[in-house]
Amino acid sequence: MTINTLSQDGVQRQQMPCLTKMERMIISMQDPDMGIKLRNQRLLITVIPHAMTGLDIVEWLIKKCSISDEEALHVGQLFVKYGYIYPLKEPRNLILKADDSSYRFQTPYYWMSTRWPASELDYAIYLAKKNIRKQGELIEYEKECYNALHKRINHTWDFVVMQAREQLRASKQRRKGDRIVLECQEQAYWLVNRPPVSPEHYKLTTLTKNTIAMISLARNRVKSSICLESYVKYCEQYQPHDPIMQGCLPSNPWITDDIMFWNMNSETVALPTKLRVERWSFSFMELLNDQMGRKEFLTYLEKEFSGTHTQINESIHNPYKQQFLAPGASRWVNIDSKTMEKTLEGLKRPHRFVLDDAQMHIYFLMKKDSYPRYLKSELYKNLLARAIVPQETKKSVFPFMRRQRHSSPSPALATQTAEDDGKAKYSNSNSGTASRL
Amino acid sequence: CSLSKNKFTNNAYTLERPIKTTMLDALNKVTACYRHLVIALGSTSDSQNLREELKKTRKKAQELAVANRTKLTSLLKDKNISKDDRAEYERLWVLFTSSVELLEVDMKRSLEIGQDFPLKVPTRHLIQTGMTGSTTTVAARAMSVQNMKYEADANIDTVDLKELETEIAQVDQMMEEMEMKVQVAPWAVEAKQEAGAELKSTVSVGNSSVGVISICEEEPKETVEGETGLMKVFAGVIFTAVLLIAGILGYLVINL
Repeated sequence: MTINTLSQDGVQRQQMPCLTKMERMIISMQDPDMGIKLRNQRLLITVIPHAMTGLDIVEWLIKKCSISDEEALHVGQLFVKYGYIYPLKEPRNLILKADDSSYRFQTPYYWMSTRWPASELDYAIYLAKKNIRKQGELIEYEKECYNALHKRINHTWDFVVMQAREQLRASKQRRKGDRIVLECQEQAYWLVNRPPVSPEHYKLTTLTKNTIAMISLARNRVKSSICLESYVKYCEQYQPHDPIMQGCLPSNPWITDDIMFWNMNSETVALPTKLRVERWSFSFMELLNDQMGRKEFLTYLEKEFSGTHTQINESIHNPYKQQFLAPGASRWVNIDSKTMEKTLEGLKRPHRFVLDDAQMHIYFLMKKDSYPRYLKSELYKNLLARAIVPQETKKSVFPFMRRQRHSSPSPALATQTAEDDGKAKYSNSNSGTASRL
Repeated sequence: CSLSKNKFTNNAYTLERPIKTTMLDALNKVTACYRHLVIALGSTSDSQNLREELKKTRKKAQELAVANRTKLTSLLKDKNISKDDRAEYERLWVLFTSSVELLEVDMKRSLEIGQDFPLKVPTRHLIQTGMTGSTTTVAARAMSVQNMKYEADANIDTVDLKELETEIAQVDQMMEEMEMKVQVAPWAVEAKQEAGAELKSTVSVGNSSVGVISICEEEPKETVEGETGLMKVFAGVIFTAVLLIAGILGYLVINL
């Protein structure tokens, strides 16, 4: 498909994969030898071909896909639900019955498609056509939709009327059998895409919509002045740490090809940079996210006889945590009695999230208590004093004396050579097969 | 240009500069016929002829679209028109753009379905929808001719798709230009038709009797067509009755 299938809001849509699979199956049902057996439908004087019974469909599915009765019925139901097959006797009842009730295939234009969703304009034209055909005798639900559409797309209503009339005139050019099929097809399409809603259900949906609207009105809102203020504060705090805004010391590796910046900020360096240590004081998560920071914090906590906390948080994926919480356990943990009870209950029937409450409790404990104390501790202050501030590399005075910038071999080149090799091999094998054909 | 009154009005007022809307009506008609033809794509009504009908219909639609666009843009660009006139032209503009939008969507869909259902394959897998008749009368209506002539090559189902792609791109471009050049707010337009208007007038709205004669000749056919079937059955019954009576009389005459 080379044409952009842009929808009205400009988003390029793809057909859902399950719908593509269903389409393929429908096409295979048309096979003259292996397809479904079709019969004629008799309506008084007219005979319309290409009808099949529900039983035929189910049997064909069982044979073709080697599945059970139940599964074939379910798959058949999907075809009817998504409008690829429609019932002839009771069109409003979109179910597949595995008996002699008749069904027919839907034309590709009316297939369910995520690329071409049913539009309001088309629905309006359909309802106008039905209105003309039935001399104003639309069912209740359709009348409501008609009036709603008349209000919503009032500006093109003249077009709706004109087009409805013309489409009816065009269909009158066909012979009777085809005209009946056309009407049935269109009706089936709209029953699938705009399913009729019972009055109680309609009231219920409007009621839920109203309650949702009221809840969203009552939601807590933050004044934009307040959240903008905190946003500005955040930017101010992080600005010295942003390599683009502030530049990075000693030098930006992408520009000067000097990787000292990365080496100095790696996880296993002996002495961290000052900026890095300062960053740990911004928030608890900053401290935990930095591996070196975590190590430092752990050392601090061990000094305070509560190292088990961090260990729990770090090894939370470890299933063998009973050792921490069983009374008289080898390591003690500071959690309150309520959480302890809940966790012990859960441990009787262990599941993945049994220790989550305990973890949450410990996390908040550390954040509110241990973390601020750490920031005030001697350990942290010493580290901050010792942290290095790297020197900016001197730029040479003479521009042409600067170190030659050479880019490392680009990863793109590496893959391209690999592709070329691959292509050469493939074309060799291809030419081999072509000669055989 | 002729002075046919605009037949859209329910409340009578005369435009200072009335315009003929036959071209717009023709575009509307061709769009409706094109949709009808696209619905038949991929089904058992699909054939070489259908592909040719689609091609001819859509080319006609594009000609009409361009003609309408030129006329309407020149009308709307004129600064010296009254407010009423401008409102009416804007309404016609919305009619026009809606028609072109529908046409564009149907063109894209016909490309998609045409690609999925090629005709020249060893095993055709056209969907057996119950439609078996030809669409030639619909196409004839679109082209405003009595009978369609088919002169395309055997491989029209693949060759035409390429042309279709370029035409879709052209229509897209035309619509973009239209949006840029003509400043009409569609939502500000008020429709003349009320809800249920399609039930009221039996005379076709907007189909001015002035102008193209071929549009009018279908009208009498439509009202009679529903009854011709019944008439045929009735005539047949009478004929057989007369034959029976003649036979009985003859038998009696011979025997007496």
